[in-house]
Amino acid sequence: MTDRRSFLKFGAGAAAAGALFPISSQASNGDTKWDQEYDIIIVGSGFAGLAAAVEAKRLNAKSVVVFEKMGVYGGNSTLNAGQSCFAGTELQTKLGITDSAELMVKDQLKAGRGIASESLLRHSAELGPYVYQMTQDCGVKYRDHIITTGGTSATRSHQTIERSGAGFIQPMLKTARELGVETHNRHKFEHLIRNDNGDVLGVQIRRGYHFGHEDSGELINVRCNKGVLIATGGFGFNVNFRMAQDPTLTAEVGCTNAKGATGDGLIEMLAAGATPVHLAHIQSGPWASPDEGGFGYGAGFSLYNFPHSIAIDRNTGQRFMNEIADRKTRADLELQRRDKDGNPQPALLIAPKAEAQKDPSMKKVLKYNVAWEFDSVEAIAAHFKVPLKPLQQQIKDWNGYVANGTDPQFGKRMDAGRGIKLTAPFIVQRLWPKVHYCQGGIQINTKAEVMAAKTGVPIKGLYAAGEVTGGIHGVSRLGGCSTPECLAFGITAARSMMEA
Amino acid sequence: MKSLTALLLGLVLSTSAYAQQNQQPHHEMAYESGCESCHDQGMDRFPSDQACLQCHDVDDLAEQTAREGEDAKQNPHDSMHYGKEAPCQDCHGEHSPKKALCQECHNFNYPKFND
Repeated sequence: MTDRRSFLKFGAGAAAAGALFPISSQASNGDTKWDQEYDIIIVGSGFAGLAAAVEAKRLNAKSVVVFEKMGVYGGNSTLNAGQSCFAGTELQTKLGITDSAELMVKDQLKAGRGIASESLLRHSAELGPYVYQMTQDCGVKYRDHIITTGGTSATRSHQTIERSGAGFIQPMLKTARELGVETHNRHKFEHLIRNDNGDVLGVQIRRGYHFGHEDSGELINVRCNKGVLIATGGFGFNVNFRMAQDPTLTAEVGCTNAKGATGDGLIEMLAAGATPVHLAHIQSGPWASPDEGGFGYGAGFSLYNFPHSIAIDRNTGQRFMNEIADRKTRADLELQRRDKDGNPQPALLIAPKAEAQKDPSMKKVLKYNVAWEFDSVEAIAAHFKVPLKPLQQQIKDWNGYVANGTDPQFGKRMDAGRGIKLTAPFIVQRLWPKVHYCQGGIQINTKAEVMAAKTGVPIKGLYAAGEVTGGIHGVSRLGGCSTPECLAFGITAARSMMEA
Repeated sequence: MKSLTALLLGLVLSTSAYAQQNQQPHHEMAYESGCESCHDQGMDRFPSDQACLQCHDVDDLAEQTAREGEDAKQNPHDSMHYGKEAPCQDCHGEHSPKKALCQECHNFNYPKFND
């Protein structure tokens, strides 16, 4: 406590000095008064930041610091369903699933619709087995069940037993600290500090920052010996910024992200001349529920149930999409479900309780009013004012598709449903997309170096990994495919910085 | 500089006036000890996260808010997402009402919640 208090007093003094001599992002080496110094500076404590921190220490980095602007660690990474696509694992073999990195890249390129980065996807997929092992070394525990996510030709989404990204973040944060990484919350990244050549020398940090109070805390300058990694995530919660890229993403569309996902790191790198890629490609999660905030419990429920369930339009009582198509396909179609006045009329996901109850998410969604149980088709129709006859016919037709193993309506991969028919009682959840992931960001190469727009060469000393980077996934990212990429490029950034 | 001082003074005055109107009854003792007993970083700043821990012990809090069985990880003082590390002020505000961080994404009910 004494140490912390005297540390804080020192901080106040440094802030006064900072007020007299404000530092710009263009500050040159000679002008900057440095308050602290580390080998490696990591901004952001999500998957990419923590993977980099652990890997840097594994490579014997002397001093590594992670700055987190929020009060809590883990950012968006701690909130998701805890899934990570790896191809060719022992668990897949045990479950009789044939898969390969090559096939995973092929699936991702297809969803990317011609503008995904094959080299970055391949780099990430090939690091998969190392990532899978490293996370387990940190104490991450995976379920025995592998999830089928949309747009994949093999079942490969491995999931933490917590069924949350927290299952990665908590053990990785603990491991990083045990290895000697310093972690500081309420430290907001403000600027890159660069020399006259544009090389990154360090960062300006707002210490003691409280989210939503932009002037809180005091500015300090932190020097790096080897590099700065920006791992600040996306801008899903920055409604102005996202609407500038995609005007359909109004405030009507919610957001699954941690509220700190405001794009600070991205915006600062753009100011430093980094190359923007695909900023308009922003993905909404088609599994979200309008009956809770953020990611919530509904996402886990629908992810488990989509393969053997149907999503229906309340106006017609009929299906309107392949429930395991890629995310963009589904989110766009869900957003089109409207009442006669054009107001949102969320679709209904109808799942058979007999199967739904096998996953722990069912209890949660029922308990917290995110889904409801019905004994019959009639009860669903009456409750949600859906035309009964077409709904009955649709369910009858669907069960025929299950029996035949083909879906003539939307071409759904019926083997993912494992022959499970849709029978009463039913569990019903409403579906409305929420902004989930920003495919766009700044450009990196396979060394996680940030590329300068003006010259097309890396900006010296600057690295980026995770959602803040762009162009990897192209138009649409497949489910469970960000986590392995964030981890892989965090690891890569650490390796590159240690070689620099 | 003069205007800065005036601004700071204004902040301090308005803050203390505000504080008097919004006090948690269970913090009466802290008020008697003076604003600085919590505002360890100066009156124009948020208290440090350590300030609350001068009186509150996180292990005790976690015990008080413990939940059973499948709800065990919904303990706001020992959660699945943040362990025992969620800083007090992310959920609690002395001079302004707040809600629990968990409630941003989950329909959890915390009937005994003190903002």
